[in-house]
Amino acid sequence: MEKERSPKFSKPNFIQPEGSMVPPATPQGAILDEAPALVDESALKDAEDKKKKSQTPLSESLRRLRHDKRAVVCFTVIVLYILVAVFGPFIYTHIGADYKSDISNTTISSTIYRDFTHQEPDRKHEGPSAQYWLGTDSIGRDLFSRLMQGMLISISVAVIVEIIDIVVGVAVGVLAGYYGGWIDFFLARFTDVMFAFPGILFLILLVGILGPRIDTLSNIPVIGANGNARLVLVSLGLAVTVWPTMARYVRGQTLQLKEQQFIEAARTSGASDLIIILRHLVPNLLSIVIIASTLNIANTIISEAGISLLGLGVQPPGSSIGLMISDATSYMQYHPWEALMPAIVLIIIVLAFSFLGDGLRDAFDPRSKD
Amino acid sequence: MVKFLVKRLLGLIFVIFCVTLITFLIGYYAPGNPIQVMLGDHPNPALEAQLMHSYGLDLPWYQQYWNFIVHLLHFNFGTSYKTINRPVNDIIGESLPISLELGFWALIIQVGIGVPVGIISALKANTWVDTTSMSVSLIIYALPPFVLSILAQLLIIWLDTTFGGSWPNSQWGVPWQYSWMDIQYKLAPILVYGAAGMAYFARLSRTSMLEVLRQDYVRTARAKGLYERVVVYRHAFRNALIPLITIIGLSVGFLVAGAFFIESIFQIPGIANVTLDAVNSLDYPVVQATTVILAIGVVFGNLLSDICYTLVDPRIKAE
Repeated sequence: MEKERSPKFSKPNFIQPEGSMVPPATPQGAILDEAPALVDESALKDAEDKKKKSQTPLSESLRRLRHDKRAVVCFTVIVLYILVAVFGPFIYTHIGADYKSDISNTTISSTIYRDFTHQEPDRKHEGPSAQYWLGTDSIGRDLFSRLMQGMLISISVAVIVEIIDIVVGVAVGVLAGYYGGWIDFFLARFTDVMFAFPGILFLILLVGILGPRIDTLSNIPVIGANGNARLVLVSLGLAVTVWPTMARYVRGQTLQLKEQQFIEAARTSGASDLIIILRHLVPNLLSIVIIASTLNIANTIISEAGISLLGLGVQPPGSSIGLMISDATSYMQYHPWEALMPAIVLIIIVLAFSFLGDGLRDAFDPRSKD
Repeated sequence: MVKFLVKRLLGLIFVIFCVTLITFLIGYYAPGNPIQVMLGDHPNPALEAQLMHSYGLDLPWYQQYWNFIVHLLHFNFGTSYKTINRPVNDIIGESLPISLELGFWALIIQVGIGVPVGIISALKANTWVDTTSMSVSLIIYALPPFVLSILAQLLIIWLDTTFGGSWPNSQWGVPWQYSWMDIQYKLAPILVYGAAGMAYFARLSRTSMLEVLRQDYVRTARAKGLYERVVVYRHAFRNALIPLITIIGLSVGFLVAGAFFIESIFQIPGIANVTLDAVNSLDYPVVQATTVILAIGVVFGNLLSDICYTLVDPRIKAE
C-alpha cells in the first residue's frame, strides 16, 4: 500500500529525531546509520517473501508500542481520563437520589446539588459518601464534580495548545528548514528571546495584566462562562511559548530529510516545492511531531494547573485542578484530602503523558534507548 | 574565543532589548489606569492629572520607553504605585537576597546530590540501585514543583500532628542566617526547590558517565591495568562532567520558573512573590523591574554556560 504510492524510488525510512532530543547514538548505531537503505530494503524483502505484505516503519513502530506494557497502561489511563472528563459529569449528575436540603427546606435533584458550582452551606468539608463521592470542599461544593470539570479544562487547554503548536511549529519549522533565509533567521531570533524569557513569567505577565480585560468576555457561553474566559489567554500564551521548540525539532528533521535521496528523486521527477513539502516531508515528520507533542501535553497540563493555582487562570465559580489545590491550601491542617486528591489526579495524568511520550520515543526510535 | 564571546554578547544585548520592550509594552497597553486604582473610590481629576504627570505617564510611548531604558541603565526603577513614594529598589533590595539564597542552596543540592547519584547509577548500571534511583528521579522530574511543594507541606503537617512538633510549613527565616529556627523554615522549600533539578542532574550525569565509560581511552586505561578507582575518577569522571557544567548555567532558567510556585506556596517573600503581588495590583514599575532582573539572570546564566563550554572543551569554536 505504502509502496504503490511512491513506486519510483526506495521507500523512505523513518528518520530519527535530531541529536538534541535523544542521547547520542552508540558507535554500532552510527554504523547502522551509514547503511540505512540496505538494512531497510533487505528487511522489507524478507517480510514480503514471508507474508506477502510489507511492514511499513509505522506499523513496525506501533507493534513495538503495543508490546511496551508501560506505554499501553499509560495510554489506557489517558483514554479513561478523557472519557471521565467528557461523559462523567453528565452521568454523575443524573444518577443521584433527590436530596432534602435542611437550609432551604426544599428537595433538590442531583443535577443541582452535584453541579460543580452549587454550594450546600451546611455540607462543608465532608469526606466521601454516597451523595458526594469524593466529599465536599470548604463551601460545600461537590469535589467529584469539580474534579471532572477541572479534568475537562486541562484536556481542553492541552488540545487547543497542541493544535496551535503543531500547526505553527510544523509550518515554520518546515519552511525554515527547507528554504532557510529570513524564516530561519526569524525562528532563531524568536527562539533566543523565548528561551531567555522564562515561559511561566511571560504567562504570568500576559494573564495577570490582560486578564481583567478578558474577564468582560464572561457572558459568552462555554468560553466565557464559569470564569473560563482567562483560559483563552492562558492557551494563547502557552502556545506562543511552546511552538519554537516544536519548530526547532521540525527544522532539524527537515534539514536531515532534504538531503535524502528520495527528496532528490522527487525533485528530479519534476515535483514542485509544495508537493515535496506536503507529500514527502510532512509525512516523514509524523514520528517526531507525535513524540514532541505527547511530551508537551504533560507540560501544558502542568502550566494550566500552575497558573490557576497562582489565582491567574480559571476564576472562582469555575473549577480547575490547580484552583482546587489552591482552594484547599488554607485547610490542609484538618482536611488534607481536599489538597491531596486533586494533586494525585494531576500526578497520574502528568506521569501517564510523560511515560507514554517516552514509550513513543522508544517505539519510533529504538536506538534512543541507552 | 574572543570573537565567539563578542558574538554572544551582541546576541545578549538584542535579547535584553526585546525583553525590556515586551515588558514595557505589556505595561503600556495594559487596561486599567494604575493611578485610578491608586486613588480608589475617590476620583479627583486634578490630582489624577498631577500624579500622571509626576509618574511621566502623560508622555508618548517612545518617550516613556526611552525614560524607562535610561533609568534602567542607572539602576533606577522608579517608585511603586502601590505604596506611594516607595522606591522599587527598596522592594527589590528586600526580596532579591531571599530569592538568591533560595536559588543558591537549591543549586547546591541539585549538583551535590544529583551528580553523585547519577555517577553511582552509571557505575552500577542495570542493577537494582540504578533502576530504583532512575525510576525515582524520572518521577520527581516529571512532577510539577507545586505538587511537590503541596506534598511536602502535607508531610510536614502530618509529622507535626503525629509527633507533636511545631515545624513551620511556610514563611522564611532571616536571609543568610542559619540559627536552628532559620533552618527549620528554610529546609523544606530548599529541598523541594532542588528536587526537580536534582533528578535532572542525576539522569544527565548517568547518561554522560555511561557515554564516557564506553570510550576507547577508558578501555585503554583498564587494559593498562590501572585500578578501577583511578579509571573511574581520573579518566572517566572528569570527562563526564563536561556536559554537566554547561547545564548549570542553563538551570538558572528552571530555577526562575520554579521560584513562582515555591515562593507562592511556601509564602516566601522573594522576588517571584513580589512579582505576583505586583501583577495582581497592577504595580507596573515593580513588574517591569522584577521581569527585567529575572530575564537578565536567565540570559547571564545562558552566557555563563557558553563561556564554560568554550573553557572546558577547546574544540568548540564559534560557528
